[in-house]
Amino acid sequence: MKKKTVSILLAASMLAAMLAGCGGSGDSGKKDAAAGNQENAADDVADDADDTDTEDSADAADDGEEVTLTVLAGQSTTDAGIEDMIDEALAEKYPNITLEWECVDWGNDFQPKMQQYLQSGLPDIMIGKAQDVATYQALGVLGEIDGAYVDRGLDAAKENVTVDGKTYGLVYNALYQGVYYNRALFEENNWDIPKTQEDLQKIIDDCNAKGITPFASHMVDTWSIGNVTMQFMMNDVFNKTPDWGDKFRNGEVSFADSEEMKTAYNYNKLICDNTFPETFSTEQTDCDAKMVAGEAAMKVSGSWSIQNFLDIDESFDFGIFPFPNQTGDSKLIFEPNITVMTSAETEHQDAINKVLDVLTGDQELAVEIYDYTKTASMLKDVTPTFDNPSQTDIDAYAADGNIVDVTLGNNQLVWGGFQEENAKDVAAWLQGQESFEDALAASDGRVDASN
Amino acid sequence: MKKKKASGMERKMSRQYFILVLPGFIIFTIGLIVPLILSLRYSVTSWDGMSAEKVFVGFQNYIDLFHDRNFLDAWWFTIKFTIANTIIQNVVALLFAIALDSGIKAQKFYRAAFFIPCLISAVIVGFVWLKMFSNVLPAINGWLGTNFNFLLFGDSKTVLSGLLIANNWQWIGYWMLIYLAGLQSVPAELYEAARVDGAGPIKRFFNVTIPMLAPAITICVVGITTGSLKVYDLLVSSTKGGPGRASTSVIYQTYATAINGRQYGYGSAMTVTLVLMLLLVALIQVKGLKKKEVQA
Amino acid sequence: MAGLRKKKKEEAVFTPYTKSTLITQIIMTIMAVLFLTPLAIIINYSFKTKKELYVNSPLSLPESLQFDNYVKAFDKLNMKVTFVNTLFYTAVSVLILALLCGTTAWAIARCKRKFFKFAYIYFIIGILIPYQALFLPIYTIGYKLNLTNTRSGIIFMYVATGISFGVFLMNSFMSTVPLELEEAARIDGCSVFRTYFSVVMPLLKPAMATLVIMQSFQIWNDYLLASLYVSKKQLKTLTVAIQSLFSAQTSDYTTAMAAIVISVLPIAILFMCLQKYFIKGMTVGAVKG
Repeated sequence: MKKKTVSILLAASMLAAMLAGCGGSGDSGKKDAAAGNQENAADDVADDADDTDTEDSADAADDGEEVTLTVLAGQSTTDAGIEDMIDEALAEKYPNITLEWECVDWGNDFQPKMQQYLQSGLPDIMIGKAQDVATYQALGVLGEIDGAYVDRGLDAAKENVTVDGKTYGLVYNALYQGVYYNRALFEENNWDIPKTQEDLQKIIDDCNAKGITPFASHMVDTWSIGNVTMQFMMNDVFNKTPDWGDKFRNGEVSFADSEEMKTAYNYNKLICDNTFPETFSTEQTDCDAKMVAGEAAMKVSGSWSIQNFLDIDESFDFGIFPFPNQTGDSKLIFEPNITVMTSAETEHQDAINKVLDVLTGDQELAVEIYDYTKTASMLKDVTPTFDNPSQTDIDAYAADGNIVDVTLGNNQLVWGGFQEENAKDVAAWLQGQESFEDALAASDGRVDASN
Repeated sequence: MKKKKASGMERKMSRQYFILVLPGFIIFTIGLIVPLILSLRYSVTSWDGMSAEKVFVGFQNYIDLFHDRNFLDAWWFTIKFTIANTIIQNVVALLFAIALDSGIKAQKFYRAAFFIPCLISAVIVGFVWLKMFSNVLPAINGWLGTNFNFLLFGDSKTVLSGLLIANNWQWIGYWMLIYLAGLQSVPAELYEAARVDGAGPIKRFFNVTIPMLAPAITICVVGITTGSLKVYDLLVSSTKGGPGRASTSVIYQTYATAINGRQYGYGSAMTVTLVLMLLLVALIQVKGLKKKEVQA
Repeated sequence: MAGLRKKKKEEAVFTPYTKSTLITQIIMTIMAVLFLTPLAIIINYSFKTKKELYVNSPLSLPESLQFDNYVKAFDKLNMKVTFVNTLFYTAVSVLILALLCGTTAWAIARCKRKFFKFAYIYFIIGILIPYQALFLPIYTIGYKLNLTNTRSGIIFMYVATGISFGVFLMNSFMSTVPLELEEAARIDGCSVFRTYFSVVMPLLKPAMATLVIMQSFQIWNDYLLASLYVSKKQLKTLTVAIQSLFSAQTSDYTTAMAAIVISVLPIAILFMCLQKYFIKGMTVGAVKG
């Protein structure tokens, strides 16, 4: 048995070696030695040829000719899997269009990939977040989205993806962010939804007295720290100074001197002091499991937690409220999530439009995606059908106009290289590795990377 | 060695040898040496990785590096990780090898048991130990009624030891096999001679075994050091450089700076420092250890 | 470079089994159990259901032997594609490496011109500077030459980064090729190429097997290069797919554990079957010969 495997392996390697080289005379050997290289080169050429082929035939898409569109999808982890749903819906309506997916993690890999494609040519379709529109539109590489498709989306979705009256992104769904709370626990203990920091402090004290952990958190994930910090900033900084980030770059304000910013950073400490002692070892799944089990009362998070909560216990009852700010007028945060962008230089505009048509027009697909990702719809007249216990709360805030789009903050202070790095400093500060002042100063020192 | 032949013949042969070397030479040059030169070039620019122009900034990036606390911390972490690994892995691997070579039964079983972890990708090893520390081992506390702190990845003070455990678990078996091969190649007569000379087991170990193991020691020390300096995969799925930046290695920091933070030129300067360090370490070790070999 | 000498091993059988040997045996058994624990836990997890994950202790055994996680892992990792990709990249890369390293190392060993001495040192740079340290420019050159997201691109990089070790390894085996045979071939009028392919290469078979196995294991487990070079769905490798499974906010790491088992099995089986070659490859240069 052993010998057989060895001999097969050897035979295979010898065979390849023979193919590539064992010639007769010196001259043919010379050719053959070069053949190894040529093989590689030939592959490349073949690949290139494939690309150009499809590009050339692009305009013929109308006639039902085969078109392959390249798609770069920067996904949140809850999104993984929607590409199959889109493929399926597309195959039904436009079987001649195939999507070639490249799905990457939005937080870590989307920007590097875009960086790479900016030099070698963008994919036809890019799926990112609303804040990406600002970044890449400024470079002039995004195509305008046809009004017919934009109009199928909610008007609120257009705002932050429209520059000079032209819309460059199609916002497909939205996440809500705030404090998720265990409804049963709140009722049991007669806690009201906190509006101010004092209200919140009372609940925290009561929790501690009763042996309940006030906040579930998983600070092991830097992205989570970064996310909640932006939530805090939205309600304590950007609500008063909507152009804080621009002023920051102009040198008018800084992290170290801004009381509001210090307050926002300090909420992290409040959470850290009132959460699991092992928060830096608790992963999101375990954290959410503890929340569901009633070990913790609240969790500053976003819609991505819903998928987890319901996965663990589908009868878990929870609601959401915005994290109270100093002035007691916090708004619930929503984040346009899946945002479809198109390349300005594509040669497949027709095919792209058909894909947009499926995305915005196929209600069944939309509902399927919303139900799967547990997110809110950004399309007119489409409502997800999954049971979201926090929906009543969301509706109440939305009806009063008490919601705010976090893209405002994310556009001014970018995630990669700035918010993300700041979050690491916050973690280091919470761990006692650096002082609060150092963490603020470090954020100020990163001003060049903030946009 | 070769008989001298007509110079024409020899030239022809040289040419043919040259053609044999050429493909590998070219591939290697494009794949590794050109990147090496590229990083030197980018390291003196302020390129962001996106824009077309690459502004020349001289040695500014290198000067900034020395004031960049995050970068210096990353180096400090990497150095601690490397030194601890080099010591622990060498000592434990050698002890294990000696134990296996001491005539115990079922040597093959032990060999496989210690070796299997290194067949697993470091990405997976990181994840497995993440789960071990945060879920599995704390359960042992509950089981035994003890109160050990197993949450090693959760605190900046213990994260290094956690990573060392994971890394050593993975690699000890590998280096052990090399030492084992070295031990088994020591001629038995040498031990006999030493015994006849009246040398005790400890003396025999230092006077016979260690010198005979010199080539193995060289390989292991160089291998472990360079291997630890380039640590990255292990971190990706375990600590992600955290908590805070407590376990950020040089490569991890380079990745975060250059690719996520779009400071390509600056990141390239980081790359250059790592390359220089690797070359320096390799040269020192090869020189130093080779000298000992000769003495032996 | 001589291989392991068997002498000592056989002698060990005759060493008396003393008390200290027994103590060593016990200590090593404990160590082996400690080393195997994480593996046992992976396998244990891979059979648990999600409910058991949260309700039962992590140390408890699964209630029933169910393969659901394996089925799910197969699906989530897109195994049909990723497994074949990984196998393809690995196989093609190691075969090219076996060919190139053989010719290169042989030419370097045989031709005494200055260039070849330089070439040897040149290749050794690649061992001293692991490619991970150069990941940034390697990534740049990849997309400048349009190598990213192509099968030939990643294979090219695996060859380029593996060639240093390969040349070093093959070079150390060259002394096992008797010069007389080569000289005889040459006298018969064979060119250098013909001499290599008809005389030398067959003698290098064990060395090539060693190289193939060592590199297969490296490439199969590679994460950094694969994550930089291939991110298209149809081109992903197993390790990259597993990493995205880990980082996903899935509530269910039993699937991840099953995925680990699936990915480790092929390489573990390969090792079990071909231990001898593996060890030979690892110990090149470690044994005075």
